[in-house]
Amino acid sequence: MSAMLSGLPLVSIVTFLPLAGAVLLVFFRRGSARAVRATALGVSLLTFVLSLLLFFAYDGASGLPELVERSSWLRGGIDYHVGVDGISLFLVLLAALMTPLALLSSWRAVDDRIKEFSFFMLLLETGMIGVFVSLNLFLFYVFWEAMLIPMYFLIGIWGGRRRIYATTKFVLFTMFGSLLMLVAIFVLQAAYSRAMGSPSLTIADLAAVPLSPALQSWLFLAFGLAFAIKIPLFPLHTWLPDAHVEAPTAGSVLLAAVLLKMGAYGFLRLGLPLFPAAAASFAPALSILAVVGIIYGGLMALVQKDMKSLVAYSSVSHMGLIMLAVFSLNFEATEGAIYQMLNHGLSTGALFLCVGILYERTHTRLIADYGGAAARMPVFAGLFLVAMLSSAGLPGLNGFVGEFLCFFGIFAANKTLAVLSVSTVVLSAAYLLWLYRRVMHGPLKDPADRRLRDLDGRELACLVPLVVLMLFMGLFPGTFLRKMDSSVARYVESLRSKAPVVTALELPGRPGAEATALAEPER
Amino acid sequence: MGFPPPIPPSVLALAPLLALVAGALLVLLLEAFLKRKDGELPAFVAVFALLASAFFTVVSWNVGNSGVYLHGRLLVDNLALLVTGVLVLAGIAVILMSLKYAAHQDMNLGQLCGLLLLAVAGAMIMVSSSDGLVVFLGLEVLSVASYAMSGLKRQDRASSEAAAKYFLMGSFAGAFFVFGLALVFGTSGSLDLTAGLSAGASLSAFPAAGAVGLGLILTALFFKIAVAPFHMWAPDVYEGAPTPVTVFLTIVPKAAGLAVLLRVLLPLLSGETAAAAVFTPALSVAAVLTMFAGNLAALRQKSVKRMLAYSSIAHAGYLLVAIVAGDAPSLVFYLLVYLFMNGGAFAVLVAMSGRGFERASLGDFAGLGRRHPGLAASLSIFLLSLAGFPPTAGFLAKFYVFGAAVREGHILLAVAAVLASLIAVAYYLKIIVVMYMQDAEAAAAFDRDDPALFLVIFLGLLGVLQLGLWPGNALSLIRAAFNAF
Repeated sequence: MSAMLSGLPLVSIVTFLPLAGAVLLVFFRRGSARAVRATALGVSLLTFVLSLLLFFAYDGASGLPELVERSSWLRGGIDYHVGVDGISLFLVLLAALMTPLALLSSWRAVDDRIKEFSFFMLLLETGMIGVFVSLNLFLFYVFWEAMLIPMYFLIGIWGGRRRIYATTKFVLFTMFGSLLMLVAIFVLQAAYSRAMGSPSLTIADLAAVPLSPALQSWLFLAFGLAFAIKIPLFPLHTWLPDAHVEAPTAGSVLLAAVLLKMGAYGFLRLGLPLFPAAAASFAPALSILAVVGIIYGGLMALVQKDMKSLVAYSSVSHMGLIMLAVFSLNFEATEGAIYQMLNHGLSTGALFLCVGILYERTHTRLIADYGGAAARMPVFAGLFLVAMLSSAGLPGLNGFVGEFLCFFGIFAANKTLAVLSVSTVVLSAAYLLWLYRRVMHGPLKDPADRRLRDLDGRELACLVPLVVLMLFMGLFPGTFLRKMDSSVARYVESLRSKAPVVTALELPGRPGAEATALAEPER
Repeated sequence: MGFPPPIPPSVLALAPLLALVAGALLVLLLEAFLKRKDGELPAFVAVFALLASAFFTVVSWNVGNSGVYLHGRLLVDNLALLVTGVLVLAGIAVILMSLKYAAHQDMNLGQLCGLLLLAVAGAMIMVSSSDGLVVFLGLEVLSVASYAMSGLKRQDRASSEAAAKYFLMGSFAGAFFVFGLALVFGTSGSLDLTAGLSAGASLSAFPAAGAVGLGLILTALFFKIAVAPFHMWAPDVYEGAPTPVTVFLTIVPKAAGLAVLLRVLLPLLSGETAAAAVFTPALSVAAVLTMFAGNLAALRQKSVKRMLAYSSIAHAGYLLVAIVAGDAPSLVFYLLVYLFMNGGAFAVLVAMSGRGFERASLGDFAGLGRRHPGLAASLSIFLLSLAGFPPTAGFLAKFYVFGAAVREGHILLAVAAVLASLIAVAYYLKIIVVMYMQDAEAAAAFDRDDPALFLVIFLGLLGVLQLGLWPGNALSLIRAAFNAF
């Protein structure tokens, strides 16, 4: 397989095919809505198919980036340097999978300025994939920032009533973090040239720069702030509910499924490997914030009246768990975090699609306006249920595998936090099942209301792949984990070798915590 | 050497300037003797003169014609040649933008072209000398022509007000320059801005009178560049002046002033000199003040033209960061990028105007994304570049300037600069919000038959994207230029 593909710059093709599609769309006539939609969907599907080739071509034995393409771009260590490894591979696949589904989901929901809409969606896809495949810090930053522009337009043009407020807040929050990261990049670049004599912005090279502890802490904080805002880590999450609630369904899906992962990915790819000692010393504080986020997000989700903001707060809670796992700095937790990123992408993406499907029928997202929908929409009820249970971590579905790995690793790092973090299981079960009961069960709100049709073919095509994948990832996690193993092992190994303090991370845990924490993840 | 035919170096050194001055005289003569006042002949002559000037600049560059001519009065070096290139490009853009605009706004195109050529010539003199008096001469030629250009819309009170304001404040600044020069001459015995001051700076203590003199000269230059706190005149003048003239005012005097600043300060501030101890903090403070004053004021504007006026003040602040860092390549690259993005944004404003009126308020842009998608998309790209989003050139320009600041140890300055850029994002996005996310109450039709203007917009886009994605050639040219600097 890989021999056949060896001549092709596959990673670049997957990254820039959507951009090429977007440019193509510019030349379409205004008003040719069907052609525009079909082209955009076709391009994104093709991208997905090609990204599957990445999966097969990626060997994963060494754990190093594979399918690497590198050519010099500008002086000062700025190269065009892309490739995938076990950490980024599946996030690329996730982005490539969610974009066509998001496009499909907005087939009817978006009918204004379809050309622009499809254009920005494809642009966003290139940005998202680009962030994950970049092996050069400059390139990473370019994609990271460039991606804001299409998202800005998607929320701002096709969003809800308070869309302009939400989209401006989104951009300013994200930019605040990333501009400070830019300064940190300069400092790192200068430190590298000073230490090594020649400039480089290759991420793998930068990890070798000797930095004083104080400088390392500052740089970690600057990078960490950018990532923490994106994740979003409590208390930097306030942009998220606004952005989610106001974004169109397609925007919410991509925001939740892919964009939030970039923060966690940033920590895995940059924040921790580049500044291991600082990361280790800040890990306890960040872990506590992550736990606060888990509980706070869960509690907020319980009291939401709007389905979309419920799912948005559930994201805050779930991303908190992922962050806690990332900061546990061991193999199981890291692999669990990556797996959970994929799960969260699928399940939250599916939940936003479900909310979108309901909204398209009734034009309300308030939970109180619904009731007994399962009677009219049995197929939908089934798929919604699976998505929900996946999000809640039911054994047999993907969420369970990820959460189990996370808890396993977190427990090894810190028992107190592990116990506290397990509350996510209880909380997510509570808010999701309660949501399901209020929306799908009970008496029909308005028996005369004929609007609640069951799913049509297009909507099935959106949801079924996700549900199938949830089952598959729950039953055969090995398919995915095998490809991650050596990269994650390498990553953890390099962290430990650089920061011996990592192994001695544990906070003083309560003596009784052990038994509870062991019992909890099993449920 | 077959082509170009050998020209004596001193003639070649003067040629770009002579081309402009000859062009200016020709245009003014045409003005006096031509029957039809609305013809575009002066514009053609002016563009031709600018192209000739560009040609001689390129020839000078290619034959490596750098040196000191006319008994030390004229200094041709790579900095001078590069900045001359920027000035000439700006001049051509301004003329192409004005062809239709001048007719619509009842402006005399011939006068505009003549004055513009003189102003560019003045700016060129400024950057091609290190002799204080010659720089002053250039500054005054540039200024006097600029005052007149600001007031070219004679029926318009704002335009006249702009000219009067600019004139009064500008003459004041000119006096500062001369006074400063006198003090520098008194302490060093030389009118040469670089050598004379450097001699003083190498002493353990910078002579106080010399420092005051330099301070006064900087003040005058700050005024021209519109650096806070000497920027108060700028918004009114930029807003009141005819839009193509605003393009000129926001680019040419800034570029020339910054080049002089660079020439004067670079030898002074490199290393641990006594002058550096005084002027580096002062310049840093001025840079921060300028960025924040420009950006914060721009946030509150209701007129896009005034907003862009304040934005150009903020950009002067970013450019000053490059001076503080002492990094000539990033300064010149930023100037080049700024020429494209700022010129492009104002060109869209010109395209919005019609016979006898301008559309510059935010409300006029409502729904532009629907009615004129090409124009709105162009303006969006220029604004995103001004805001510093990748992959536009604006990002790369900031990347190099702020990167240079960090490399030289000015981390806090870089942090201030990125925070200022964040404020700027808010107002640039405001224009995009209005264009794409609000609908117009009444769709106003406007004249789109202006190929020269659309050429300018197109070239601006090309520049912004090319310099953002594949700036390799431009960068290596600029870097090569300063390796020997």
